Amino acid sequence: MIPCSRREFLRAGTLLAAGLGLSQGVASVFAQGLQRLFERQKRVLWLQGLSCSGCSVSFLNCNEPGPLDILTRMISLVFHPNISATQGAQAIETIQKLVSEGGYYLVFEGAVAPGMPEACLLGGRPLNDLLVDVLQRADAVVAAGSCAAFGGIPAGEGNATGAVGLAEFMRSKNIPTEKRLLNCPGCPVHPDSLVGTLAYVAGKGYPSVNPELLTPDMMYKHSVHDDCPRFHYWQKNAFAEQFGDEGCLFKLGCLGPLSHTNCPQRQWNGGVNWCIRAGAPCIACTSPDFVKRRAFPFYRKGEAYHAVAYQEKDRKGDKS
Amino acid sequence: MSQTVTVSPLTRIEGHLAVHTETEPFQSGSAERHRVKSARCEGEMYRGFEQILRGRDPMDAQQITQRICGVCPISHGIASVRAQEMAYGIRPGRNGRLLQNLILAANYLHSHILHFYHLAGLDFVDVTAILKYSGADRALKAVKSWVEEALNRKDLFAAAPLLPRYEGEYLTDVDTNIAVIAHYAEALELRKICDEMGAIFGARLPHSTALIPGGVTQVPTAERVLSYAGRLQKVRSFIDEVYIPDVVTVAQAFPSYFDVGRAAGNFLCYGVFETNDGGEKLIPPGVVIDGKWETLDPEQIAEDVGCSRYASGAPRHPKQGETKPEPQRSGAYSWLKAPRYKENPMEVGALARVVAGYLKPGESWIKREVDAFLQPLNLPVERLFSVLGRHAARALEARWVAREAQKWLDEIEIDGPATTPFELPKTGSGHGLTEAPRGALGHWISIDEYRISNYQCVVPTTWNCSPRDSRGRPGPVETALEGLEIKDATQPIEIGRVVRSFDPCIACAVH
Repeated sequence: MIPCSRREFLRAGTLLAAGLGLSQGVASVFAQGLQRLFERQKRVLWLQGLSCSGCSVSFLNCNEPGPLDILTRMISLVFHPNISATQGAQAIETIQKLVSEGGYYLVFEGAVAPGMPEACLLGGRPLNDLLVDVLQRADAVVAAGSCAAFGGIPAGEGNATGAVGLAEFMRSKNIPTEKRLLNCPGCPVHPDSLVGTLAYVAGKGYPSVNPELLTPDMMYKHSVHDDCPRFHYWQKNAFAEQFGDEGCLFKLGCLGPLSHTNCPQRQWNGGVNWCIRAGAPCIACTSPDFVKRRAFPFYRKGEAYHAVAYQEKDRKGDKS
Repeated sequence: MSQTVTVSPLTRIEGHLAVHTETEPFQSGSAERHRVKSARCEGEMYRGFEQILRGRDPMDAQQITQRICGVCPISHGIASVRAQEMAYGIRPGRNGRLLQNLILAANYLHSHILHFYHLAGLDFVDVTAILKYSGADRALKAVKSWVEEALNRKDLFAAAPLLPRYEGEYLTDVDTNIAVIAHYAEALELRKICDEMGAIFGARLPHSTALIPGGVTQVPTAERVLSYAGRLQKVRSFIDEVYIPDVVTVAQAFPSYFDVGRAAGNFLCYGVFETNDGGEKLIPPGVVIDGKWETLDPEQIAEDVGCSRYASGAPRHPKQGETKPEPQRSGAYSWLKAPRYKENPMEVGALARVVAGYLKPGESWIKREVDAFLQPLNLPVERLFSVLGRHAARALEARWVAREAQKWLDEIEIDGPATTPFELPKTGSGHGLTEAPRGALGHWISIDEYRISNYQCVVPTTWNCSPRDSRGRPGPVETALEGLEIKDATQPIEIGRVVRSFDPCIACAVH
């Protein structure tokens, strides 16, 4: 019996692409990729560093393919710390067996702490030691979420761990990132962006990315501001003054111009809502600067009392 | 021979945890078994939220602290907005309170369902029973052929991530196993629906951006109330018709786990879900020490770092708390601090909420509900202080929270304001005490010159998985493991069953 038909991959690929607002061509690539992942041409290993598991929870919120397909048939997920039945030494053996085989995709969630190796242990050993090997032998590495991509909250000013994202860690260890590392930021990562990235890499190879940020263009090219449903308010200088008001959220602190992601298109949690629609200022959770500086708050409530370290010009969206 | 039995990493929880037990052998019939003499819980990941929060705009806190945990972000958000509200001198109005409750309720339901089926469930259910499935359900047939095909071609990682596993005693009845596997699959969809409910009022899940001091950023429209209500109905049916019966099924198959995993028997609960503008809570606060209920006094909390990877010092109340990491400190074995209440290690979580509510003097609806559940099973309440008791407490609580959520929906003033105006003060302090799905959660904030001057979090798993304190007293999970019998030291499935019954979250616990 064939456990998964070609039609199922086409369906999942098409719906995934549709949710992301992408073309029929990308849909076929997704379908092809999901089929290859299903056929175990590429297996997936999921590890966590300095993380909160929010990206894993978000991953389980995926719609097409749904969570059961993701955990069983459609992505050959060899190990996931929150989901795997295996534990203890058996879990470490499972990981090592895959690493020695090589050629897998690594999904990594959380930051890495080169400045304090004890800040993250796995099986009693600093994760950093294991990670060098795991990164080297992977065919592709997907940094899931802003912590893995850019350091995120653990790398916020004042931290004691020296936390960084994977790109910086890999460069410091002379592990090549070119055409291997893909950053899928977001706090948390959106499940469609993550699954789409995995499917694309498996289907067609390394996608077109922002050369500095290594974020796939198909999901991260435009800013929230570019496609904001409240853009017309901004054009008319109609600003919300209080939470709950109609109007552009800029004066409440919205960082939409700095956040490059596709939230306006695919929204969140199956499309039921998202930040701007709910009147919540964008906190730029996909930005490499997310939480980095103390003097750069999420809201402008307290601005009357203390200088905020951004300029009006940073607020303007750059459509290029 | 005495032997160290270790599970490192202990998976299917949130975060990085290693458990080491010292065991002694004993004879059980002709077989040699191991009995745990003492245990150590090692929290293995540290990020340092408390340092990162210092010097920031106070309003950043409810966003940053939600990122302490991706499983229960809303609880951190609520603790943070409560602490800020106290510092700003405001309280949420009716809509703000109801919407915050509804977002939190959704987060509870997601968390309890996830925990029973996807985290703890694989310790009890035999997933290989799917091979014997002969029914017509498409999803189950697909899973069956997926496992079958992988096993037939001797795939190196057949049926991962559901295999490999520790071998041991699982549910034996094929039909029961298959039913629970089907519910594992169904629960994946149900917990996703719970996150949708949270997002309907909270913008998105995990990590709600709509939660702010004094309420939420969005006014509740009739359409939003209805779309929450429709989903809630699905979740309520699942809890009543699937989740609670499955917990009973597991309990009937593993009755000995009503006697396994008892901690010291002290319970702490801060109370949760404000039911009126006076701050009264659906689940009331309370403390149980040596079986006696007493009123909660937050001043009695202190964090000890005797065996923790922080610079040593006397135990401190979180208001004066400090966090100075010392990763290589000798004698320290965990990144968790050891919080104590009147110097006692305290168990927190759904069981603590149930026990504190049960023993609270006066009329108690919790007592009525718990007695009604236990009576047909012929169980005295003391047996709830166990692995199965914790699962049962969560399942019952899920039913209560879902039921109340329906009432909160009915109380909403449609299109009415959901925010409360406030000014940021130059100086101030406050605390927010609430309950996360995993137990008592407190945030303490101090503000100076419009910035956070100190921020401390004492988190549920900090209590439950705490290491020993300076007086050598083990934490609740460490105590719960003492006396545990292990059949096969190479596959100590029993350790995971006990530890997971507390639903640990290490990212929370250390933060």
